Amino acid sequence: MHHRAAPRAALSAGRARSVLLAIPAVVPVVLVIGVSIAGAAAQSLGLMPFIGAPVLSTQAWAGSAGDLGRSVLVSVYIAVVSTVLSLIVGFLIAVYVLAAPRMGRVVAALSAATIPVPHLIGAGAMGLLLSDSGFLDRVFGMPPGFPSLVGGPWFGAVIVEYAWKESAFVALVLIGSMARSVTGMCDAAATLGATAWQRIVHIVLPLSRPALAVSALIVVVYTFGSYEAAWLLGPTSPEPVSVRAVRLFGSVDLAARPEAMATALVSLAAGVVAILAGLVVLRGSRGLR
Amino acid sequence: MTAHPATDRLLPSRPSRPSPAGQARGGSARSGSAGLSVRARPVVRAVFGVLLVLWILVPLVPLALWSVADRWQAPAVLPNAYSLDAFAVLGAPGTLSAAASSLLLGSAVAIIATPLGLMGALAARALPGRYGRAVDLILLLPLAVPPFALVMGANITLLRLYVPPFAGVVLLLVVIALPYTAFMFRSALATYEQRFEDVALTLGADPRQVLRHVRMPLLSAATVRAFFLAFLVGWGDYITTLLVGGGQLTTLPMLLGSAASSTGNEQLVAVLSLAVIVPPAFILAAVTLPAVITTRAAALTRKAHP
Repeated sequence: MHHRAAPRAALSAGRARSVLLAIPAVVPVVLVIGVSIAGAAAQSLGLMPFIGAPVLSTQAWAGSAGDLGRSVLVSVYIAVVSTVLSLIVGFLIAVYVLAAPRMGRVVAALSAATIPVPHLIGAGAMGLLLSDSGFLDRVFGMPPGFPSLVGGPWFGAVIVEYAWKESAFVALVLIGSMARSVTGMCDAAATLGATAWQRIVHIVLPLSRPALAVSALIVVVYTFGSYEAAWLLGPTSPEPVSVRAVRLFGSVDLAARPEAMATALVSLAAGVVAILAGLVVLRGSRGLR
Repeated sequence: MTAHPATDRLLPSRPSRPSPAGQARGGSARSGSAGLSVRARPVVRAVFGVLLVLWILVPLVPLALWSVADRWQAPAVLPNAYSLDAFAVLGAPGTLSAAASSLLLGSAVAIIATPLGLMGALAARALPGRYGRAVDLILLLPLAVPPFALVMGANITLLRLYVPPFAGVVLLLVVIALPYTAFMFRSALATYEQRFEDVALTLGADPRQVLRHVRMPLLSAATVRAFFLAFLVGWGDYITTLLVGGGQLTTLPMLLGSAASSTGNEQLVAVLSLAVIVPPAFILAAVTLPAVITTRAAALTRKAHP
C-alpha cells in the first residue's frame, strides 16, 4: 500500500495517536454496555442473585414468556404509532418552515424550544391537558362515550406526548438536512409551473427521505424503551416493557429481579435489532440509487 | 391540511405562465392551477401555521395556568382565582438542594461527555475506513439501548464495586450522552476546513497555538451545542437517577416524578416543571440569540453597503 518506509511510519504514528484518542470515548461505552448485558443475562438466569447462592434457572424466561411477549407487543404498538405520527407532523413543520419565510422562523424557534423539555415534563403537561377533567375537556367537553386518553386502553396520551416531543426532533433533523438544497430546487420547479403539492411530493419528500429514515430509526427505538410517559399516562395493564421492567425491578419480591432482567435484555435486543435492520435497509436503499 | 393541494392536482391543470424567480421564492404562495384561487393560498398557509403553533404551544398552556392558579375547579375553563403561592415551594430547602443536585449532575455529565465526544469524533475522522466507522458505530451504540435496560443490568456491578450513587449515575449518563456530543462534533468536523490548521503551521505556529487559535475557535459553536445537550441529559434525567440513586439522590425530576404520579398535585407539578424547563430555555436563548443577531446585523450591513 505504501511504498516508502518514512510516510508509513508517520502514518502509523498518526494512527496510534488516533487510537489513543478514541480510547477514552470508546472504552466507557463498551465497558458499560458489556457489563450491563452480562449482568442482566446472569441475573435473569439466577446466577447473580441479590442475596443467596447462585442457582441456574430459566424460570424468569419460561415462566413469564406470555406476559413478556405481550409487553413487547404493547411497546412495539406504541413505538410504531408514535413514530408514524412524529414523522408526519415533523415533516409538516419542516415543509412549513422552509416554505413560509417569516412565520416559518417563529414556528422553527418554538418547535426547537420544546426539544430541551424532558419527556417527564412533557408527560406531566399532557396529563394536565388530556386527563378526564383536564384542560381540553374543560374547553371542549369531550363526549361521554369518548375513551379516556390518560390511562386508557389505547395509550392515547402516551402516543400524543411522544408525537409532540419527537415531531420537533424530526423537524429539526429535516430542516437541518434540507435547508440548503431544497429552496433552490423548489424555486426552479415553481418557475417551471409546479404546484405546491407537486413540489412537496416530487422534490421535498424525495430529498428528505434519508433524514426521515434516520430520524424514524432513532424515534422508534427511543419510544420503544422510554419509561416516563408510559408510566405516568398509560393504563396499569397491559404494560409496556419499560414499565414492566421497572415495576419488577423495584418489587419487594426479590424473585422478581430475574424477570426484570429478562425484560431488560429483550428490550435491549429489540433496540439493537431495530437499529441494525434500519442500517441494512438504509445502506440497501443508498446502493439502489 | 394537504386536502386543498390534493384536489388541486386532481383537477385538470392548465400550464401556468412562468413567473419571475423573486415572486416564486419561498414556496407555496403561488397557485399554478385552477383548483384554488390565488387569494386562498395565503389563507390556507396562515391557518396551517396557526395549527402548527397551537400543536406546539397548547400542551404548555395548562402548565402555565396551573402554576398561577389558586383554585381551579373541574368544569371551569380558566382558574377560579389566581395566586403566586405555589412558587413558594421553589424557595424550600428540599427544592433548592434538589436543584443543586440537578445542576451538579448536568454539569458533571457535560464536563465529561463533551471532551470525550470530541476525542471520539476526532479519532473517527482520523482513522481509516473500517476503523473509523467502527468508532462511529460504538459511539452511536447507546442510542440502541433503552436507558432503563442499560441501568438495570449495570446496577448490581456498581453496587458490588461500591461505586457511590452519584458517580454511578454520572458514569451511566455520560455513556447515554456520548452519542449526542460525538454526533455534534462529527457534523462540525465534516465541514471543518483542515487547511486553516495547515496555513497556521506553515506560518510558524506550534501545535499548541494551532489548537488555541485555530481549532478551538472553529469548534466553539459545536462545543457549546454538545455541552448543552449533555447538560440536558443530566439535568432532566429521571430513570437513571431513580434506578441507581435508589432514592438517595434527589433531583428536580425526582421531586416532579413523585408529585406527578399522585393526583391532586397539579400546582406543584406545574411549578416544578417550569423550574426544570425555564433555566435551559434561558441558556438556549442566550446561546442562540447572539448568533442570530450577528447574522442579522451582517445581513443588514451587506444590504447597506453592497
